Amino acid sequence: MGITERIMGGETAANSKTVMGLRKETIEGIVWSLPYLAVFTVFLIWPALKGLYMSLHTYPNKFDLTETEWVGLQNYVELFQDPVFYNAMEGTLLFVAISVPALVILGLVMALGVNRDVAGKRTLRAIYFSPYVLTVAVVTLVWGQVYSQSYGLINYYLGFFIDNPPGWLTSPDLVMAALAFMTVWWLVGFNFVIFLAARQSIPERLYEAARLDGATGWRAFKDITLPQMRNSVVFVVMVQFILQFQVFAQPYVMTQGGPKDTSDTLVYYLYRSAFSQQQFGYGAAMGYVLVAILIVIAIVNFKVIGDSND
Amino acid sequence: MTETTSQDSIRARLDGDTVRNVLLHAFLYGLAVLMAVPYLYTLSRSFQPTELLRDPRPYWIPPLAGEPITLEHYQYLLNNTLVVEWTINTFIIAAGATLLIVVIDSMIAFSLTRLDWPGQGLVMGVILASFMVPYYMNIVPLYQIVSDLGLINSYWGVILPAVASPLGVFLLYQFFKDIPAEYEEAARLDGFTTFQVYTRIILPLAKPILSALALFMFVYNWNAFLWPLLVLSNETAYTLPIGLVNLYQGNIDTPGLHMAVAILGSLPLFIIYLIFQGQIVRAVQMQGATG
Repeated sequence: MGITERIMGGETAANSKTVMGLRKETIEGIVWSLPYLAVFTVFLIWPALKGLYMSLHTYPNKFDLTETEWVGLQNYVELFQDPVFYNAMEGTLLFVAISVPALVILGLVMALGVNRDVAGKRTLRAIYFSPYVLTVAVVTLVWGQVYSQSYGLINYYLGFFIDNPPGWLTSPDLVMAALAFMTVWWLVGFNFVIFLAARQSIPERLYEAARLDGATGWRAFKDITLPQMRNSVVFVVMVQFILQFQVFAQPYVMTQGGPKDTSDTLVYYLYRSAFSQQQFGYGAAMGYVLVAILIVIAIVNFKVIGDSND
Repeated sequence: MTETTSQDSIRARLDGDTVRNVLLHAFLYGLAVLMAVPYLYTLSRSFQPTELLRDPRPYWIPPLAGEPITLEHYQYLLNNTLVVEWTINTFIIAAGATLLIVVIDSMIAFSLTRLDWPGQGLVMGVILASFMVPYYMNIVPLYQIVSDLGLINSYWGVILPAVASPLGVFLLYQFFKDIPAEYEEAARLDGFTTFQVYTRIILPLAKPILSALALFMFVYNWNAFLWPLLVLSNETAYTLPIGLVNLYQGNIDTPGLHMAVAILGSLPLFIIYLIFQGQIVRAVQMQGATG
């Protein structure tokens, strides 16, 4: 209900003036919304719809994209028979399976630790969060050196203990774990500060009451901390699933999908299909399949951790 | 007798607590040092001459012999690459996007929460639902649209899609919704226009959240990677992240230059982070609280 209406109890002097039968407040409301809605429509809604159209067409002429050819579901059918797509899917799932649990659990451990009676909380928070403000370009540049097989930081120290330290980015078995580890370093601060805020908003009296009942340590964590922080856990898990599922820059910059295509990912393949091979319809179809996968993941997430105690 | 045992148990408990406390500090600070190692490594290597960098040993403390510290990598980058231009481009894009986001997001959030008009519930519903559209899904059709509008290689081609993000609208909507109506009612009775209510009541009250949102969006758009990579194909139009990767992938191959370019590329944001850490962290925490 509008403020003026609440004060005056119905039509006010201002509101009774109408233009083409519209109340003044309605016109104002639309005018104030218009700048955002215009950008939102042209650059978010319109591409989402256009993507559907594109995914049902091919573009036979790379130089004239007005030339389209209706192919129905052919792009989708091809996609589901495409071994590169399945390989990229496998890589993405592996990356998600390593990075998301590590990001969530480490973020939680850091937050619960800093929430305790420790000296220098502000310094710790500043350091833990700081990699988050780096661009992925800098992250990959720095870690490219840290991981380097011959002159990298890790292998220099590892060399004291084992004879032939592995090439972190050149070994098919290690490359995704290496990219995920780097990503955890880069992004864990985001989860950490959210968990810290959530933990700090739990009333201390809950813990005092539990202490009187003899519940401390693990039991207090399980019975108070986790349930009280559940909303933020659900949020963080969801956000990280969606973000990490769209991993692109790390393989693009550091490995180009190698070695032997073991670090290929879905968004990287989408990028190559559409922007290197100019298969726009195919790329658009892959975009739609990505959304479908993410929606399924979101539903599963909500089912598993979202409403377990309601 | 009973007194001594209780004292013992207190001492035992104290010792247990002390041990636990020391372990906790050791863990948290150990983690902090590990997380800071890449910074120190980058910084120290960016100043080392190439002969030292060929040695896999990381010289945390420069050796005394020879010429331990050099500015040659920085000098090379400033003289032979477009790092400065890229920094300016990035600043214009990030600042432009941030300014637009703060202005038009706060306008629509104001309209959706403080004005009453038919259809506003539907509009908010569509904006909320758009959260489900993962950004990257849209890149192929979005590229076509931006290309049709003639915005390839222009600042606007990067800025406008960034401004379409619903995040700011959502955060401001949550905040504006909870501002008590009394402030506004009093102002309306004094004859304030809608514009005056927005500029003199809502915006001043929302200052903390607006500055947090602005800083977060600035950082986010400064760091954006995939979209600028697609839209900016001309070297002089690059943003820093794109320029850095381009250098890394082709034109420079010595570790010293990689490290120096990483420092130059992260320095502007790191300074902003050191000054405005609180607001940036708060913007992240707001997302967690409303999500």
